[in-house]
Order: sequence, then structure tokens, then C-alpha cells
Amino acid sequence: MNARLLAAAGLLLATTAGAGPAATPSAAKPTPAAAIGCVDCHLALDDARITPPAKAFADDIHAKSGFTCVFCHGGDAGATDQEVAHDRKKGFIGKPLPRDIPGLCGKCHSDAATMKHFNPSLRVDQLSEYKTSGHGKHLAQGDTRVAQCASCHGAHGIQPVKDSRSPVSPRKVAETCNKCHGDAALMAGYKLPADVYAKWKKSVHYQVRVEKGDLSAPTCNSCHGNHGAAPPEVGSVANVCGTCHAVFAEKFRVSPHWEPFKEMNLPGCVTCHENHEIVRPTEAFLAEGDQGKCSSCHEASSAGGKAAAAMRVDLVALAGEIRAAREKLDRAAEAGMEVSRARFELSKADDALTTARTEVHRFQAATVHTTASAGFAVARSARKDADRALAERDFRRKGLFVSLGLILLAIAALLLKIRSVPGGR
Amino acid sequence: MSSSASEGPGRAARFKSWVEERLGWDDLAHLAQKKEVPIHPWTIFYYLGGMALFLFTVQVATGILLLLYYRPSSAEAFESVQYMMADVPFGWLIRSIHSWGANLFVGVVFLHMISVFFLKAYRPPREATWITGAVLLFLAMGFGFSGYLLPWNTLAYFATKVGTDVPAQIPGIGHLLSRILRGGSDVTGATLSRFYGIHVAILPAITTVFLGIHLYLVQRHGMSVPPSVERKGKPKTMRFLPDFLLRDMVGWLVAVALLAALAAFLPWELGVKADPFVPAPAGIRPEWYFLWMFQALKYLPAKVAGIPGETLGVFAIGGLAAVLAIVPFLDRKRSRIWNVAAVLVLIGAAILTVLSLLPQKGTP
Repeated sequence: MNARLLAAAGLLLATTAGAGPAATPSAAKPTPAAAIGCVDCHLALDDARITPPAKAFADDIHAKSGFTCVFCHGGDAGATDQEVAHDRKKGFIGKPLPRDIPGLCGKCHSDAATMKHFNPSLRVDQLSEYKTSGHGKHLAQGDTRVAQCASCHGAHGIQPVKDSRSPVSPRKVAETCNKCHGDAALMAGYKLPADVYAKWKKSVHYQVRVEKGDLSAPTCNSCHGNHGAAPPEVGSVANVCGTCHAVFAEKFRVSPHWEPFKEMNLPGCVTCHENHEIVRPTEAFLAEGDQGKCSSCHEASSAGGKAAAAMRVDLVALAGEIRAAREKLDRAAEAGMEVSRARFELSKADDALTTARTEVHRFQAATVHTTASAGFAVARSARKDADRALAERDFRRKGLFVSLGLILLAIAALLLKIRSVPGGR
Repeated sequence: MSSSASEGPGRAARFKSWVEERLGWDDLAHLAQKKEVPIHPWTIFYYLGGMALFLFTVQVATGILLLLYYRPSSAEAFESVQYMMADVPFGWLIRSIHSWGANLFVGVVFLHMISVFFLKAYRPPREATWITGAVLLFLAMGFGFSGYLLPWNTLAYFATKVGTDVPAQIPGIGHLLSRILRGGSDVTGATLSRFYGIHVAILPAITTVFLGIHLYLVQRHGMSVPPSVERKGKPKTMRFLPDFLLRDMVGWLVAVALLAALAAFLPWELGVKADPFVPAPAGIRPEWYFLWMFQALKYLPAKVAGIPGETLGVFAIGGLAAVLAIVPFLDRKRSRIWNVAAVLVLIGAAILTVLSLLPQKGTP
């Protein structure tokens, strides 16, 4: 079934050269009869093998652009006789083989002159990229189990990538990759893990992308590429992560770790942060213990171990001071105190903590200390503001009770006076 | 020393005589001493008028103090209120009392109006007292609406956008009215300046006139005795000075205590500064006394017999206000039907208010 779909998709895009289809709709306008001929028969036959593709094609981006079956499958759409319609002398190629599909799609999609008639902004290097991919290389060696165009885009109901119905739309691409990369039996043949999707789902990237709906967080193709999909090489991991985490990458590049990592062939960022199961880093990364990252290479008594401990102390102290200040400011705000300026000031301490955590990637304890200390002073000042606000709250409440006492005395005096004057008459 | 002591009373008497000659103070004192208040089971409702007047005085006093620091521009309004709340000694107290007092004032005016309605105190010759009272109720609501925008926070900004859209539903002049209110096509700094002027100058001036007439009429006609009491004969009375005033003052002190407690435990929130470029947050609501209108307009269909639903709603609310103002002339025979209608309107308004406070679809 899959191979058949793949073949159809390949043919669909074969429009400019080759045996059957030789022109795009812009050059050769299909007649309504020609467009309808194949579909009429394939729908009328009501065959589970050939009818669904004919149905699905009605909603295909190519059909909407004027392409018909013969542009990919060849043959004679105007013929009413199956033998004539499927005559190989008329270019009919039937179901294309998986190995031929990238070439068939590429006939149009690699041709800038053709593509500019439909979508001039669409890249035309997908086929050449595909050939550099793991998938493309395996396919070139005759392995037809690997993904090619139709495996990901579909065959007869192809939608633009931005369309949420497309299997490669931003919200669906990870699930589409996982159809193969989550298949343990299939992956075993390539000595690849089948749990990458499950691991990614535990990552901070998944949380941001899926749970918070921020599509700027990475999914599979963000790091691996799409048509040229391949795992980043050890030496290029920092570059790949650095496309988003530019500041971290830059600091890491000037850190004392850069050269030793290269010499030891360690995969940069991934060494400490993992590749797919990238969790939110904590100060525990710098500590001893299960979550400790530094301690896996540095003894606690070594210079590196001491630097990690010093950085951790600074970061923990700053985070603690911010937490304490925020908790007090929240309490004051709940009591109705005006603390918005103190909260704004505290956001500067948050910035300092973020910067200090960034500085960790330079692996110089003194730099982290300088940044964290500045943030600590800001957070301490915000905490003092919160203390003042809470003291003011207590003062107001005490003042209220005194005032209420005086008011009660005044009311009592009035009531006594009322009793002393004559009543109604 | 002894000579000055002996001259003291003489000087005081001369000063009193000097003042009396110029101000006629004794006439006023005599008038106040003559004023009497009927005693019957509904006497307690007489205190609502005095309470409304007291709360209005509190609003004037706190409002004047707020004027010393408030800056009526979109760039500075929010910050100036923030400064008052955080830095000005007792600024938080004055602002909270002004905000809470405004709500208490409108609430008491409503109760005063309702009690006067059901006690049929608008009977001849007190029609003008009622009409000026109705105008004062509308003015109180106008104070609330114009004052709501002044802190220039998000909630007030968007509520004012909705509120100033309402007059636009009036055919013909609606859009012009809305533009006049806003000082342009949208709620901007120009609207803030305009609302400030309305809140601190125009409404106080009009209120002074109507309040003066209202108090004069109350003094002239005296307290109305409800028909049910009147039928039983002339009720007992108490002197306004000092009997009634002393009791009034107990109520005022309770109001002060309540305002102080609210200010200390629930200071009026300032919220987030208005940003015209962000989308309206969920849960935008006007002040509580406009909620029933706000909700009623939401329920109206797009068209009713070819007329836009909201236009019909605005006319209905306007009609209701007009009927309220001229009720003394409509209820000549003191028919029970007016009481039933009023109860139904009050229940309807209460239900709509509760419905508007329930969580709406799509709001947290």
C-alpha cells in the first residue's frame, strides 16, 4: 500500500520530462474530459486499491493547481478503454517504484523554471538535499524501507506544509517521523534507538512547543533538517544548538572546555544536556550526585570541581533570594499593598540569574560570581521593599484598630447623649 | 486680667450680634430647630438621605485631596495614582476611601431612591423633590462612570471603550455623542482629559445646583409620611436638632468605620496600566451598578423587528430612566401596579447582575 502511494506521488510530480507526462498545466492545459476521465473510472470501479487515491486527489494541492493524474502516471486520460488509457506507449507508467519517487517529484520540484509558475518562494533543492540525507543514501543503495517524498508528504492528498492536515505540518512532523523512528523492529536494522520521540516528549522543547504552543521550540527537523535529514555530527552539535541558543554557544566556544571537548570528540552541548531528552537545567547540574554533570568528569577536590561548586553556591543563593523576595512581595500584593515597582526591580534580578546561568557556559566561576552578586543585591533590595510593605500593612491594620476604638467611643458617647435628650413628642 | 475677663462676654456678644446682623444666622438656627422628623415604623429610611449626603461630602473631601497629586494625562495618570498609593503619606487611605466611598455612595443613593419610591414620598407636593433626586442618581452614576477611567488601568480603559460605544447605538446623533464623549473616534488620552473635566468640574457644578434645590425642597416640604401611617393619624415626631442629627451621626460614624476597614484590609486595586495596543483581557466589566445594563445588552438579538437589538436596548434603558424621573406624574392614583412593576424591574436587574458576575465562557 505504502509503495503504491509512494509511486503515485512520484508520478504526480513528473511533469516536465520523461516517458509520459511532459508538460506542466501552465504549458499544457488539460481538458475537463482529460481531467475527469481517470477519476470517473477509478471511482466507478469502487476498488479498495484504486478508488481511495482517486477520491483523495480531489483535495490535493496539485489537483488545485491544475495537475491531473496523467501528469504523474502518464497514459491517456481521454480514453474510455482501460487498455488504451493504460497504454505504455502513451507514457503510462502505472505505480512508480519507491526508488523512483524522489526523481519523479524532483522533476518539477527541482526545476526553478517550473516551480515559479506555482510557488516561486518554494525551495528547489529538496532533491539534492535528500541525496545527502541518511534516507537518500540508503535509498540510493537500494534500501526501499527508508523514507522518501511520499512517506512523509503523502501521495494523493498532499497538502502544503503550512496546512494543519499535512503530516509534515509544524504540529504533526514529530509524529510523522515517529511512525518509522518509533518502530523498534525497523530501527533495529539500522542500529538506531526507537525511543527518541518518547524522550523528546519529556524534554523542555516539547513542553514549550506542544504544551505552551510556541512553535519556535524545536521539533525533529529543526535540528536534523527535513529533506537532508541526518543526525548532527559530533563537531557540529554546538553549531546546531547555537542556531537558537546563540549566547550559550558563543560562551561555550570561548570556554576552557572547547578545545578538550574537540580533542576528546565529545558532542558539545549534548555531553551535559542530552540530545532528545533535554530537561530544564538546574543548579543540581553543577553539584555532586545523580543529576550532577560536572562531577562526571571533575573530582570535587579538583579546580574544575571547586569552580562548579562555587558557581552553584552563587546561583542557588541568587535563586533563593529572588524566591524569598517574590514570596514576600506576593504576600504584600495580596494584602493590597502597592509593590509593582519593587516587582519590576525584582525582574532585573531574574535577568541577572538568567545571565549568570548563561555565564556558566564560560565555566569561569569569577564571572558567574560578579553577575550573580549584582542580581543578589537587587533581589535583597526588593526583599527589603517587601518587608517595608508588610510592615506598612501591619501599621495600617493597627491604625485601623485604634481608629475603630475611637469611633466606637464616639458612637457610645452619641448614644449616651441620645438617651439623655427627650424622646418623641 | 480681671478687666479682660469682665470684657470677654461683652466682646463675644458684640461679635455674635455683628455676625447676626450680616448673616441672619438666627433665622437659620430657628429654621433648623423648628424642623421635625415623624416617628413611625419606616423612620429608619429617613436616615438614607443623610447618609447619601454624608458620603457625598466624603467624596468631595477625598476627591479634593486626590486632585493635589493626580495628573490627568495618559502618560502620567496611572503613575500618579501609583505614586499616591505607594509614596504619599496616607495617599492609599484617601484613594481607597474615595473608591470604596463612591460605591457605597451609589449604593446608598439607590436604596434612598427605592425607599422613597415604595413609601410613595413623591406624592404632591414633592414631585420636584423626586425629580431632582432622580437627576442626582443619574449624576452619581455619571460620577462613577467618569471616575472609573481616571486611574487609566486596563480594566477601566476597556470598560470605558464598551461604555462609550453604547451612545453610538442611538440613530442619527449616536456616533456624534460617542465622539463627543471620547474626544475622538477611540478612547485615548483625550478621553481621559475629558472625563477628568467632567468628573471634577462639570458634574460637581451640576450636582451642586440639583443638590441645593433638592435640600431646599426637603426643608420646605418636610419629611413625607407614608400613606399607611398617614391614614392612622398624625404620627409622633422628633426634633431634627439634636435628636435626629445625633442618630444620623451614629450612622455616619459607622460608615467611616466601614470605609476605614475596607481601605485597610481591601485597598482598592490599581491593576495594570492601560495599553491600547493589547487585546482586551477576558472578564471586562463595568462598575457593579452598570452590570445589569451591560448584561441586558449582551442578551439582545442582533435585530428585533428590523431594529438593531442594541439600539432597542439603549432606548429601553433611556425609557426606563425617563419613566423613573416622571413617576410622580404617572402614579397619580397610587396604584399597586407601580409597586409590582418596580419589584419586577429590581428582581430583573438583580438577576442580570448575578448572571454577569458568573464565569463567562472562555474566561478563567
